[in-house]
Amino acid sequence: MRRILSIVASRLLQLLIMVSVLSFVTFGLMKFTPGDPIRDLLKVDDVIATKADEEKLKKEYGFDQPILVQYGHWILNVMQFDLGESIISKRPVMEMILSRLPATIALTIGGMVVLFLIAIPFGTLGAAYEARWPDFISRWLAMLGASIPSFWLGLLLIYFFSLKLNLLPVMGKGTLAHFVLPSITLGIAMAPMYIRLLRERLISTLQSSYIEAARARGLSKERILFFHALRGSLIPLITMFGLSIGSLLGGITVIEILFSWPGMGELIVNSVKQRDYPVIQGYILIVGFLVVITNLIVDLLYLVVNPQIKQGKESV
Amino acid sequence: MLNKFLVFIIACILVSGCSNQQQSSSSVKEDVSTAKSTEAEDKSVTLLFSFASKTIDPHQDWMGVRAGIAETLVKIDENLTIKPWLAESWEQKDERTWTFTLREGITFHDGTPVNGEAVKASFERVLSVNDVISSSLKIESMEANGQEITFVTKEVYPAFISELVHTNASITKVDVENISEQPIGTGPFKVVDFISESEIKLEKYADYWDGAAKLDRVTIKFNSDGNVRALALQSGEADLAYHLPPEALDPIESKDNLRVESVSSLRVHFILYNSAKPALQNLKVRKALDLLVNRPVMVNEIMNGHATAASGPFNPSFPFASELEPASYDPAQAEVLLKEAGYEKNEAGKLEKDGKVLQLTLATYQGRPELPLMAQYIQAEAAGLGIDINIVTVENIDSYLWEQQDEWDLATYSNLTAPRGDGGYFFNVAYLPEGSLNPGQINIPEVNELTKQLNATADLQERIALQKKTVAIIQEQLPQSFILHPHIIVGVNERVKNWSPGSEEYYLITNSMDVE
Repeated sequence: MRRILSIVASRLLQLLIMVSVLSFVTFGLMKFTPGDPIRDLLKVDDVIATKADEEKLKKEYGFDQPILVQYGHWILNVMQFDLGESIISKRPVMEMILSRLPATIALTIGGMVVLFLIAIPFGTLGAAYEARWPDFISRWLAMLGASIPSFWLGLLLIYFFSLKLNLLPVMGKGTLAHFVLPSITLGIAMAPMYIRLLRERLISTLQSSYIEAARARGLSKERILFFHALRGSLIPLITMFGLSIGSLLGGITVIEILFSWPGMGELIVNSVKQRDYPVIQGYILIVGFLVVITNLIVDLLYLVVNPQIKQGKESV
Repeated sequence: MLNKFLVFIIACILVSGCSNQQQSSSSVKEDVSTAKSTEAEDKSVTLLFSFASKTIDPHQDWMGVRAGIAETLVKIDENLTIKPWLAESWEQKDERTWTFTLREGITFHDGTPVNGEAVKASFERVLSVNDVISSSLKIESMEANGQEITFVTKEVYPAFISELVHTNASITKVDVENISEQPIGTGPFKVVDFISESEIKLEKYADYWDGAAKLDRVTIKFNSDGNVRALALQSGEADLAYHLPPEALDPIESKDNLRVESVSSLRVHFILYNSAKPALQNLKVRKALDLLVNRPVMVNEIMNGHATAASGPFNPSFPFASELEPASYDPAQAEVLLKEAGYEKNEAGKLEKDGKVLQLTLATYQGRPELPLMAQYIQAEAAGLGIDINIVTVENIDSYLWEQQDEWDLATYSNLTAPRGDGGYFFNVAYLPEGSLNPGQINIPEVNELTKQLNATADLQERIALQKKTVAIIQEQLPQSFILHPHIIVGVNERVKNWSPGSEEYYLITNSMDVE
């Protein structure tokens, strides 16, 4: 129990440090990259404006002040759990992001289901038939999956399943059927590295002494593979998921936009285009928070899934 | 033993794959059949648009008017002239005072009548929540009296009437809880549900003042991927799909139940010359470059025919647009002009003057994928005459043009030139030295003078004459080379009747559109 508490405490401290560094760096980077929300605002609206009007608006939004002052204002508000308002839509950033978050999380879960449906059979096949044809097929599929860009895969899936076969809707959210294509696209995009990782882990587990012992006791190959080796080999997959949650949230954006999935993807891409600073900052903060929390959960899961690790370490 | 396991896994994958498909296929079929059975009583249309709306607050987002939820006092009609809408008529009392008389019998979606007070309240709200509109309307004070509303502008401002066409100047009910998701307007459709950046569900407003809509329901969905929009139209998921990429049109045109509508937009793609650069201050050099622009090739090769060659800044349907034919491609004449300007070919075949080779930097951006292609055509044409053009592709063209003003000589650029039926907007922002859309530092005294005159002229005919005069000077002075007006390409299912896209893209959903 003490160990769990210390993990939680150290992670929360990490969260605080990481988020403050992250927020400062991104704030600076955004201000230094070319782009100007005021100019975008005027251009989008196509209204008669002079340079003087532009300067006046900049002043109203506080963009004429030094970056440190702007950052100070922002971080003070964040400490009071206020992420500010979008420059473009004038809605509270917190509300905008939180209303999108569930859809993104739902799609992530859908993608994970597909991912495990693909990775476990193919990873196991690869290990069980090391260097034989099922292994080659598994490797070939992993390479294929890794080299197909997800936007193109998504278009292909839409073309076949929605247009040619007329089985599934093209886009949007609503019924379970809307879930299928985006989840498959995401699952296929994520699966390759999990297939390969599971295969490697299984092969090395199958050579370990406790499997040797199980074999000596006369247990069947299937029993050893499924009840002993696979369970132990799944742990690195969970770690991998924890580590890749950040890049996953980035990659999911493309899929959300393609399928009009109302997650955070469209929101963040448009906000970056329009230099809607408060939304971008809020998004980065919340994603940073999610990454740290996911890793914390992964660490705790570790203790649950494989208590041997904990006992082993504590006895050392 | 393991072989059995292998067979078992393969069988599992196949079975799970098949059963999933069966399940989903039956559920989709149910969806389709229910959609068809309700269609008998319910006429509905799904429109797919490219730019997703974060909010449908009519004072913040264009979708309020586009979706037929809210309406403005005046609108531009299919001939691109300004005509009354919620206002029945208007009168200019003096240079700064305008009085509008509202139609009788207009009601908001909740049944409350629209009078001068309601319109005043709506304007008060837009002025406080939308800084951009507030600075463009320049309203000093308002007064409501029965069905009349009087505006006093801060300065003499004849363009006021055309600025009221702006979709954000639409009339909404202000004492509403959730304007960003459930705005209450006066249009033919009221909001049932809105999911930000995903879809809007609308149903007809039975008491609409101009006759209830023929459709019962409209759904507007957003998708920013042009290919997905084209596929959604082909699969029947959308009846109208906006802004299709020209390369995705073949399968649509070949189907009997689909057609493609293509209408010239109010936008113009052009080359902007940097007036601060000595080489480009020479009119002969600008004219020579203009003669190198092969407009028919740009229209047919780059735009697949979905564009209209441009002879000036404005869509040719406007009464104030140029009546001249677009300039023709003539590299021989260009060579003559460059010679007259003092440029001679050196041994390397490059044009030079006073020992300096003519080297130009052309800025372009990927935001509109056709622009970099146009830049390449121009580069190739110029190379033929011995002019070196170096293309730079930047991410944010506006920031680059403004902040690196001494780095570029030419830029491919694209602007909406008369978004509200009046050219005064473009003259003010793109030609006046202090304009917010003038990074090329254009400063033509005659144009400045005419624009100032225009800003003080209220009479419509006089305004048109002044604008024509200004366009003529622009064509002579060539501060930009206008290339083409891109078309708005919409894929339409033939079941949709009484509908065609407008150049202005403000009134997408109307009470007269229908389905078979």
